[in-house]
Amino acid sequence: MIFFAVLVVLVVIAQIAEFFIPPLEWMYHAHIYIAPVLVFYGAVALPFPLMLGLALIAGILLDALTVQVIGSRVEISLGWSILLYAVLAGIMHGLRPLFIRGRWEVHSVLTGICTSAIILAQYLMITFRRGTFLFTKEVWWQIGGPGLIAMLMAPVVFWVLNWIARVTRYPYLPERSFE
Amino acid sequence: MNRTSIIALLIFGAILGYFLSFGADTTRKFQAGIYQFFAPFFRTGSGLEKQITSVRTGLKSLDELEKENAALNVDNRQLRATNQALRDVEHEVNRLRHALNYRERSVFKLIPAEIVTRDASTWWHTVTINRGKEDHIETDMPVVTDEGLVGKTTTVSNTISIVLLVTDENCKVASSVEGTREQGIVAGERVTGGLAPLLDLNFLTKQANLQPGQKAYTSGVGGVFPSGLFLGTVKSFKVRELDGQAKLAPAVDLSHLEDVFVVTGRK
Repeated sequence: MIFFAVLVVLVVIAQIAEFFIPPLEWMYHAHIYIAPVLVFYGAVALPFPLMLGLALIAGILLDALTVQVIGSRVEISLGWSILLYAVLAGIMHGLRPLFIRGRWEVHSVLTGICTSAIILAQYLMITFRRGTFLFTKEVWWQIGGPGLIAMLMAPVVFWVLNWIARVTRYPYLPERSFE
Repeated sequence: MNRTSIIALLIFGAILGYFLSFGADTTRKFQAGIYQFFAPFFRTGSGLEKQITSVRTGLKSLDELEKENAALNVDNRQLRATNQALRDVEHEVNRLRHALNYRERSVFKLIPAEIVTRDASTWWHTVTINRGKEDHIETDMPVVTDEGLVGKTTTVSNTISIVLLVTDENCKVASSVEGTREQGIVAGERVTGGLAPLLDLNFLTKQANLQPGQKAYTSGVGGVFPSGLFLGTVKSFKVRELDGQAKLAPAVDLSHLEDVFVVTGRK
């Protein structure tokens, strides 16, 4: 439970920190997302009920801090991010045995893909709402860029979280260390 | 799947259903509550961000200084540091004086506000400001600078508010073009490609034939934005199947915003 609490605190901090990280102009204004990397680590490291709990907290935060309410219209209803996080984290959770055996490479790649999937899902939802379909090079970079960055960040973040898990004596650690 | 997991899934489903059932008002209240809760963290983060930027600028000038003169002595460093600090103060004084002048000569009742955070999401262009209900800010109030229109408030909590920027596709502003009878709707682009985002001025007549450099202002239609606020300058004009569309360069450089004013009414 201590490790779960640490993950929750880190997700909250990451979500706030994202407000102060400027988008990357050289990557077509792609944003850097840290919270999904933490959530997807939680998806493979935590047991199912706690994984759902983490997805719930991260989803509420993402929705509450970014959703747009204009007049009497909500662009993406509160709750969709929870569902997205839960589904994607559920997929990652299915690969937990691999992670327990110490194989983190697949999960790093999947973290990037899932991060992009969240942004793609958001884009599809606003596209359906606003009407016109628009898929330019910039759109693909803004969807793929954060995933790419998350993929690169994942090994370092996983290593740090693994260390925190050991410090907090979390029982479900991978058999093989991150080396 | 064990019993604990099934129970967790049921609880999760119930909470999810509860959130999905939220209407616009409930969502706005919930969002305002969350922003209010995090307001101290945002303010601290904003302060830290400014300090880090200031330190970075200081280090950069030291680097340049070292290249220019390797034998720089301690006295020189102290003098330069003092100079830098004074320059920061001068910049701050100028900025505030500028803002104060604008406030005094403006025809609107203005509440000054500082940008606390910028947009953290990919698809929405918003900023948060350090004013809220306690400062008599309400939803759908125009936000301006002395250069022109910035956007409008959407969610307002006690001490912090979200401002939807004019560069967002959802921020639609009725506008007119100087020297013509043309009227249209300005909205942001969904995806920003270049370094500076542009605005779309839609629903013009096909014969509008706007020229680069012409200025667009708010027309006052719709009730949210008063007339006469500078929106942007025409960059290009094209005729589409049903209407004419102009691309505008926004009047305000939104990427370097520090201070804004919320329009609460006319004087």
